[in-house]
Amino acid sequence: MSHPQRAAAFTSDAERTTWHDETLWFVRQKRDKAAYGVPEFQQLRQLASDIKEHTLSRLDEYLEQFERNARANGVQVHWAADADEHNRIVLSIIKAAGASSIVKSKSMLTEECHLNPYLQQHGIAVVDTDLGERIVQLREEAPSHLVLPAIHLKKEDVGETFHQHLGTPKGEKDPQNLTEAARLHLREKFLIGQVAISGVNFAVAETGAVVVCTNEGNADLGVNLAQVHIACMGMEKLIPRTADLGVFTRLLARSATGQPVTTYTSHFSQPAPGRQMHIVIVDNGRTRQLGRPDFRNSLKCIRCGACMNTCPVYRRSGGHSYNFTVPGPIGAILSPNIDLHKHSTLPFASTLCGSCTDVCPVKIDIHNQLYKWRQLIAQSNALPLGKKLGMKLLSWGLARPGLYRLGGKVAREGLRLLPRGLSHAAALNPWAKARELPEPPAQSFREWYQQTVTQ
Amino acid sequence: MSSRETILAAVRANRPAPTSLPGVVDFEGEATVERFTEWLHFIGGQVVQLAPEQPLEDVVRQLYPEAQRIASNLIPASVPVDGQTAIPVLEAVELAVLAGEFGVAENGAVWVPEANMLHRALPMIAQHLVLMLSRQRIVANMHQAYAQVGHTGAYGVFIAGPSKTADIEQSLVIGAHGARSLTVLLR
Repeated sequence: MSHPQRAAAFTSDAERTTWHDETLWFVRQKRDKAAYGVPEFQQLRQLASDIKEHTLSRLDEYLEQFERNARANGVQVHWAADADEHNRIVLSIIKAAGASSIVKSKSMLTEECHLNPYLQQHGIAVVDTDLGERIVQLREEAPSHLVLPAIHLKKEDVGETFHQHLGTPKGEKDPQNLTEAARLHLREKFLIGQVAISGVNFAVAETGAVVVCTNEGNADLGVNLAQVHIACMGMEKLIPRTADLGVFTRLLARSATGQPVTTYTSHFSQPAPGRQMHIVIVDNGRTRQLGRPDFRNSLKCIRCGACMNTCPVYRRSGGHSYNFTVPGPIGAILSPNIDLHKHSTLPFASTLCGSCTDVCPVKIDIHNQLYKWRQLIAQSNALPLGKKLGMKLLSWGLARPGLYRLGGKVAREGLRLLPRGLSHAAALNPWAKARELPEPPAQSFREWYQQTVTQ
Repeated sequence: MSSRETILAAVRANRPAPTSLPGVVDFEGEATVERFTEWLHFIGGQVVQLAPEQPLEDVVRQLYPEAQRIASNLIPASVPVDGQTAIPVLEAVELAVLAGEFGVAENGAVWVPEANMLHRALPMIAQHLVLMLSRQRIVANMHQAYAQVGHTGAYGVFIAGPSKTADIEQSLVIGAHGARSLTVLLR
């Protein structure tokens, strides 16, 4: 299904769509307040972008430095070319540890690799420990937002899910009580988790440390109670120095939720005595993206979600309409690199207003890349027939001034004469589904000009 | 070729033109107890100022009169905790009283290195957390914080307020998985 089809399913519930739209806009406003509170915020964005740019330009060297330091710290480093290899590595570590149940904190990479179903097929019980992720896991859904995985749900939905799976009273919908129920349920899981998987927000080349940012404390709780920690990271998470964390930790939470910093900013570089730590470095299409000059900037992304919160299309279509691990504007420029045909409608899920670019903490030119992907999608013959023919017809008509003038006249007269039922028929004119057409003017600008401006 | 070699070769072939690494920045700012306190309140924690001679234990008892199972290396503890402590014992800790190294004025965060934790999981698994901090040890921002830390060590955490979540309808709930409350004692 295309983005418009999935979006139509989401928007069929107008009340929920409005709530989703307003809630995310509120998060965007909190982001603004936090950003304006830091006088050097714009300089920080530039610095973050420059640090990432530099890191990408020497990524091989920083990867090797990171690996060297991590190994010296007693960490086992693994390399995975694709999702499949990543999953096999993780499973083999779990098997070697003799574990049958694992806990996992937030990791978009493992979502991207579809790790959960893979492990479950191999008899491993996986529990997502971030509250939002646990909610969507129990509902057998995908997260719909990078940092707010269950933002598509209302508290009544969560109440019903918890009633079914955690035995909370029917009709319980108070967020405080539901969170308490999840706390008790997940504590049990933390205590028995033999292996803990975490994502990685930043990997520091000069120390071999990985940095994980959470508000709930679930990553630390899982990792510090388990015998084995597996940190899964996309290769673009690297930064050169510990000092660079100063720049990124000041931007991440402010851009994401408007908090001054996440509750826990945790730095892991050595396992506790007698325990194991593994890091899996994953490519899965990233080196290909690195080789596309127009699109490599997307690898600077720190997964804050600011572009989603501000996007007029995301806010009104929901994360699931993108049908890709990373939704929203950033997902729409990452996904065609993975499968251009499958995700060909995503770069069109945008008004090209540029708001995503304005809020991006690492200054990715998201709207430019959306526009460039559209060109590539058209060249690859991946446009739907209607759009393709429409574009052809339009360029043919716009290249003929006489026809253009005639068309304008017909439209002006037509709008006046046609009955409303015809001019606003949803089947013929999708534009008018939720909008009024403009009042047709009596004359065109050209006619007015010829009449008014005398030589 | 191993995946490692394949990946590194692909990076070398595809990497963009070299650019220079920006220098380390600071930007400075207000490194005051007032600003630290304001931010910690904003993110759901509390700050209690201690008089110079006030015994730490008395203050903790006053703040958490019901806590029975206390783990600490600063006041007499009822639950001894070290790196080998069993999980069920850790899980039962009601209150952990630990030392923070320094605070960050711009966001209310406190740096807690592994050496101060007794067990790595203690600051998160305890139901409530108290961090002791010197008033002299406040830095302005995260740049100064990382300059102060130098190397982040085997394990270390900036803790900013109590554990929280807003995953259900964006309603803020304090006490997700980690500590339900955080008190910073300043002396």
